[in-house]
Amino acid sequence: MIAKKIITLSCLFLVSNFSLYPQQEVVMSIKEGMPLIHVAIPKFSVEDPSPEAKDAADILYKVISDDLKYSRVFSPLPKNYYNYIKPLDPDKILFNDWESIQAKLLIVGQVSKQDDKTIQFEAKFYDVKSERFIRGKTYQAEKSILRLAAHKFSNLMMETYGEPQIFTTKIAFISNRDGSNELYMMDYDGHNQTRLTFNQGKDYMPAWSTDGKSIAYTEFKGGNARLYIYNPFEGKRKLVFDRGTSFGPCFSPDSKKLAFCSTEDESNSEIYAAKSDGTNIKRLTFNKSADVSPSWSPNCREIAFTSDRSGSPQIYIMDAEGSNVRRRSFGGNYHDSPSWSPTGDRIIYVSRVQAVFDLYILNLRTDEIIKLTEGYARNESPCWSPDGRHIIFSSNRIGTIQLYSIDYDGANLKRLTSKGQNKLPDWSQK
Amino acid sequence: MKKILTLSLSCFLVIAFFASCRKKVEETPPPPQVKEQPKVEKVEKPPVKEPILTEDEIFAKKSLEELNAEKPMMVILFDYDKFFIREDAKPILQNNADWMKKWETIKILIEGHCDERGTEDYNMALGEKRAKSAFDYLLSLGISSDRIKTISYGKSQPVDPGHNEIAWQKNRRDQFTIIEK
Repeated sequence: MIAKKIITLSCLFLVSNFSLYPQQEVVMSIKEGMPLIHVAIPKFSVEDPSPEAKDAADILYKVISDDLKYSRVFSPLPKNYYNYIKPLDPDKILFNDWESIQAKLLIVGQVSKQDDKTIQFEAKFYDVKSERFIRGKTYQAEKSILRLAAHKFSNLMMETYGEPQIFTTKIAFISNRDGSNELYMMDYDGHNQTRLTFNQGKDYMPAWSTDGKSIAYTEFKGGNARLYIYNPFEGKRKLVFDRGTSFGPCFSPDSKKLAFCSTEDESNSEIYAAKSDGTNIKRLTFNKSADVSPSWSPNCREIAFTSDRSGSPQIYIMDAEGSNVRRRSFGGNYHDSPSWSPTGDRIIYVSRVQAVFDLYILNLRTDEIIKLTEGYARNESPCWSPDGRHIIFSSNRIGTIQLYSIDYDGANLKRLTSKGQNKLPDWSQK
Repeated sequence: MKKILTLSLSCFLVIAFFASCRKKVEETPPPPQVKEQPKVEKVEKPPVKEPILTEDEIFAKKSLEELNAEKPMMVILFDYDKFFIREDAKPILQNNADWMKKWETIKILIEGHCDERGTEDYNMALGEKRAKSAFDYLLSLGISSDRIKTISYGKSQPVDPGHNEIAWQKNRRDQFTIIEK
């Protein structure tokens, strides 16, 4: 009898052990509140003594370290920890050493010069405790786009842990650094700030399409404020709406629809929704109040927006067809610019109190409100990163309007722009 | 001897006389050509004086840019966060309406603007409300609606980049632009 029980139990034990250590590729998921994954990133080895390879290794190393530090998923080990153990030998990794300095993952990178223009970067990462290779890739890139290669590797690590790959995403924004308001874009970390429009008009309020290839925006020209969809990679532009003042576009995350505002009806700002190619336009709001700033929920079934139907601008939510309108902001007389988090459970918005604008995050499940910014400044136009951990916004705290990145809990504030005035940012999904 | 000399001399003289007579006739100088002072006819073209244009004609010659540069229609200002027509705006709107009635073909654009102390999105709506207020007022003064278009620039185009009450007041405005003659 007891023998039977022992056999049954040991069988169960063996079976459960099998399922705990599957043979297929590891995909793990991160939940908020999980501790950061400590990653050891020893300096990348350089195969040949050329200065190009050395410079490339430095750039790749810095970008990957910065990306992982930014991620709020991984935590690169402090530099002095590496002094406690022997330097890395890629051909003979002493995993016990790395475990002793509390690394959970180890990144091994090798850089060599492929030819005059191209650098080859071989990157792998290992699970330290199980001494197992998890994933790796070899990249070949011209020197001018090494940052992109590094971002791709950081993305690979995020993807392995089931996370959105944010490091190659872009931010569209408006800048007047060349004279008047024009459309620009930059990497998520502020690098490669590139001008996109060179026309006579003044551009406003950009919004990325879901595939990250087009930007909807308003062009002020010749006494008109028309809404366009522009593909800067192909140089093609399409007119969406040219009646009234048209502005505030926002594509739905499922890439099917485009919401926007127009004052074509009696100069009263209303919200409209079209197909994402700009056709089949339907009106969603039908009242005398000003309705502005639409923002889709991640499941595309609802839209957050601003309306002054109560007498002052407040945050509301309605169904995607315009019905079931309910107010979500209270306790204040000026709320605007809602942005729905990709996690679905939070909306960030701007609250104005006596000429000071601060960002607040409303938790839709708990109704809890967190104040994200502090100080005597105008912080506005917030927009979430695709993984819902970071926010880009504009602020005039240093005297000119610049773009800043901040984490969902108020940590890691960083200014990204400096030339001219920069505002109205939008973060691409891809 | 003397007689022969005298005779031949007198013959010679006679012959010479006749010869010279004939010659004289033959040698009458031809009518003077270039050397004689020509009769100069002073050719004058009466100067073409610019005709004295009527006001209509002056108006017709100006381009839209020139017309707008003269600022025939003045700006009106608004209170903070408000879009109602103030008392000080009414005479300006009256003048603007009078000017539009004088030039009946004119079509205008009313631009609504805001100061920086509102958010980008809501200011687009507020700017449009300000344009609409002026639009409605001009309608009440007898201007037909098909002559007026409205637009909002929100706070994107301040006239004064300052960060003080004077700048903010200047920016909270409606501007009137001629878009068609």
